[in-house]
Amino acid sequence: MNNKDSLSNEKKLDRRDFFRKTAVLSATALAGTSIFAADDAAIMKNPEWAEKWGDPMTTNLYGVPSPYEHNVTRRSTELLSSGNFRASIAVTPLHESSGIITPNGLFFSRSHGGTAHVDPNEYRLMIHGLVEKPIVLTLAELKRYPSVTRIHFIECPANGGQEWRATQFNSVQFAKGFMASAEWTGVYVKTILEDLGIKPEAQWMLAEGGDSSKMGRTVPMDKIYDDAMIVWGQNGEALRPEQGYPVRLLLPGWEGNLCVKWLRRLEFAVEPWYCKEETSKYTDLKKTGKAIQHFYANEVNSTVTSPSPEIPWTDLKDGTVVEIEGLAWSGMGTITGVDFSLDGGNTYVQAELKGLILPKSWTRFSYMHTYKKGEKLLLTSRAMDDAGFIQPTIDQETSVMGVEAVYHRNAVETWEVTEKGEVNHVQIRS
Amino acid sequence: MFKLDRKLILSASVFTAAALFVAGCAAGGLGFSKSNSTSAQVSIDGGVFYPAVNGKTGPYVLDTKAAAMKLNQGRIPTANEIKAWDTDVMADGTGLPEGSGSASEGSDIYDSKCISCHGDFGSGGGGYPSLAKGNAYTLHASLLSQRSEEGADGPVRVFGTYWPQASTLWWYIKDAMPHQMTDSLTNDEVYALTAYILQLNEIKIDGVLVESDYVLDRKKFLKIVMPNVDGFEPNIAGPNSLPGVRAYFANPANYGGQKVKPAERCMKNCQAATVKTVRVANGGINAFVPPMAIARDLPKVESKEFNAAKSYEENCASCHATKSMGAPAIGDAKAWKAVSAKGMAAVYKNGIDGINGMPAKGGTNLSDAEFNLVVDYIVSLSK
Repeated sequence: MNNKDSLSNEKKLDRRDFFRKTAVLSATALAGTSIFAADDAAIMKNPEWAEKWGDPMTTNLYGVPSPYEHNVTRRSTELLSSGNFRASIAVTPLHESSGIITPNGLFFSRSHGGTAHVDPNEYRLMIHGLVEKPIVLTLAELKRYPSVTRIHFIECPANGGQEWRATQFNSVQFAKGFMASAEWTGVYVKTILEDLGIKPEAQWMLAEGGDSSKMGRTVPMDKIYDDAMIVWGQNGEALRPEQGYPVRLLLPGWEGNLCVKWLRRLEFAVEPWYCKEETSKYTDLKKTGKAIQHFYANEVNSTVTSPSPEIPWTDLKDGTVVEIEGLAWSGMGTITGVDFSLDGGNTYVQAELKGLILPKSWTRFSYMHTYKKGEKLLLTSRAMDDAGFIQPTIDQETSVMGVEAVYHRNAVETWEVTEKGEVNHVQIRS
Repeated sequence: MFKLDRKLILSASVFTAAALFVAGCAAGGLGFSKSNSTSAQVSIDGGVFYPAVNGKTGPYVLDTKAAAMKLNQGRIPTANEIKAWDTDVMADGTGLPEGSGSASEGSDIYDSKCISCHGDFGSGGGGYPSLAKGNAYTLHASLLSQRSEEGADGPVRVFGTYWPQASTLWWYIKDAMPHQMTDSLTNDEVYALTAYILQLNEIKIDGVLVESDYVLDRKKFLKIVMPNVDGFEPNIAGPNSLPGVRAYFANPANYGGQKVKPAERCMKNCQAATVKTVRVANGGINAFVPPMAIARDLPKVESKEFNAAKSYEENCASCHATKSMGAPAIGDAKAWKAVSAKGMAAVYKNGIDGINGMPAKGGTNLSDAEFNLVVDYIVSLSK
């Protein structure tokens, strides 16, 4: 009874409060209307869509975005391409992304021989080598295994890899968009191995694609016993061809190219394979002259995504309260916090984390800022994960890795806001 | 202090691996659902290992019953099926077939099938990698070079100077080259091309310099020791290499990782006075396809008419723009007169079927009619 009473009292108080606030607001707005502004034509005149029939429900039975969204696309550049964009990359528009899921049509894509179009009826997956029983599976047979659904990002380890020596992309889409995130559905590789039986001497698994590039990578058994998946579903539908339709490997948190697309063969062995894309490329040359091979996980990382060079603050009025938003992620665990700086990383405060915070997943962070017209800012974010890692400064990272590593660059990113509200990608380094 | 931390991390990682394998044996399965440990464990990549605890892994609920069931899907492959797909070549020669070819034969094949992308003598071009830059043993030292300062030469990372195993080259050429028509070379041709690329890199096999008349075969191939064979870490070779890999990534100092207790991270005065703000120079890389735009407007309606000039730029220019790629160059009246000596029908047919280094229709998806319009366009500008 007492509880109920106190609840209703609170409600009354709230309502009274609300009326009082409304009254104040109304007074400032001169009894609810403005006499200063001109009438907005978008309100005064009905557009066609407000008066005429729209499309029948039989139009676009597979939905497409509004044509007004046509500029929200992946983008590529010839400087990262050969073979007329066959060995190339198309990157995700992070400046237009929200939440922690990327629509399938905007999911970054990197391929070594173009996008293969596989007939699912002719799809076969072969598993052999150091297993008790080798097998061939059709797509239908593969999908009969108990499915698992997980949210994970996939990131090319060359995300930001063009900028070891200096910043080169005045764009968040290109500086950080070699990644995207989705909800994946498939089966744990270990579930299939329960059926086949794995011989104890097996240390490595070869994963090979069936496209013209026959992309292959060697995977240690630890990942198979942990969370390696064979996936066919992406955000509730089949994989897109650009993601390896009908089947790709998914190694949560690890280099995108380890997540072999158009997957056709898994082989188990004692010795690793030395595939082309794990020796000549995707190895990190350090300043010692030695290169790191089998550098699996994408390390803890973050970036501001709003504002961006693409969508700056040039239209903000003095005093606007604006949300600075960004993404943090770690292939080695779960994001535990993001620090945020307005002075390029000299002084940090804690940013707010938002929404789902999942292992090996994108995590959103936010910082509310009151914009002063003409102010100059350097927006820097710095993420931490539950493995205990924190993003290094550029100087810290290059002191170990040098500037020729190409891959796995995860030093803090900085975005400059100029007096005019333009946004530039910059680096703070000595 | 640091040493102690590292030892703890190492022992944790060994424990993880041991726990996985022991659980696997005990349960007669792979042991992903039996652990009750809640202590933080280290994964092989140096990150967190999320064990299955009380039917959950991290935030996800596991269907442990379903996962442990035997489903017996699929069928056992035939020996021929495995042979058809198991074409990999391992460092010890497993999978490397018999065959032979000389460097001079390789040079001829290279000039007809490879030069259009990889350039004269493997010098690279059109976005494709170079295959050699000179003597690999001498250039190997360049791996210590850093372009930290303006104008400095960087490390040379080509086959001869960088790749740890020659098996990778043989396997990759056989399965994935030429880029536009893979799996089209015979084993002998792959041996010949490999010999030629070894020659370009001035590699010695068993003390013998690979020259034009050098005939490479399987036996000689297995004696190749690449200059950078010891250039990689951690070690992955041998029947018990995984513990070393785990130990390597458990130590962040190996790869520039920073670990910090949250309470001890820097929040104020974190930067040296010497830091400066480096901006994108000269606009940086901004030739994006499509160009950057954020407007919410209706897309321009593109003309549906086939645009031969545009198609040429997109599909043909990378090989036909200049003579250096081996293909008849646009504007080279002499070359095109020779090509069209047997009439345009022959030119169309050769292009549609593919000829020399050119794949069928240049690797495009154009219709025959569209393809012929592009040929007409090139010929019209080559008179």
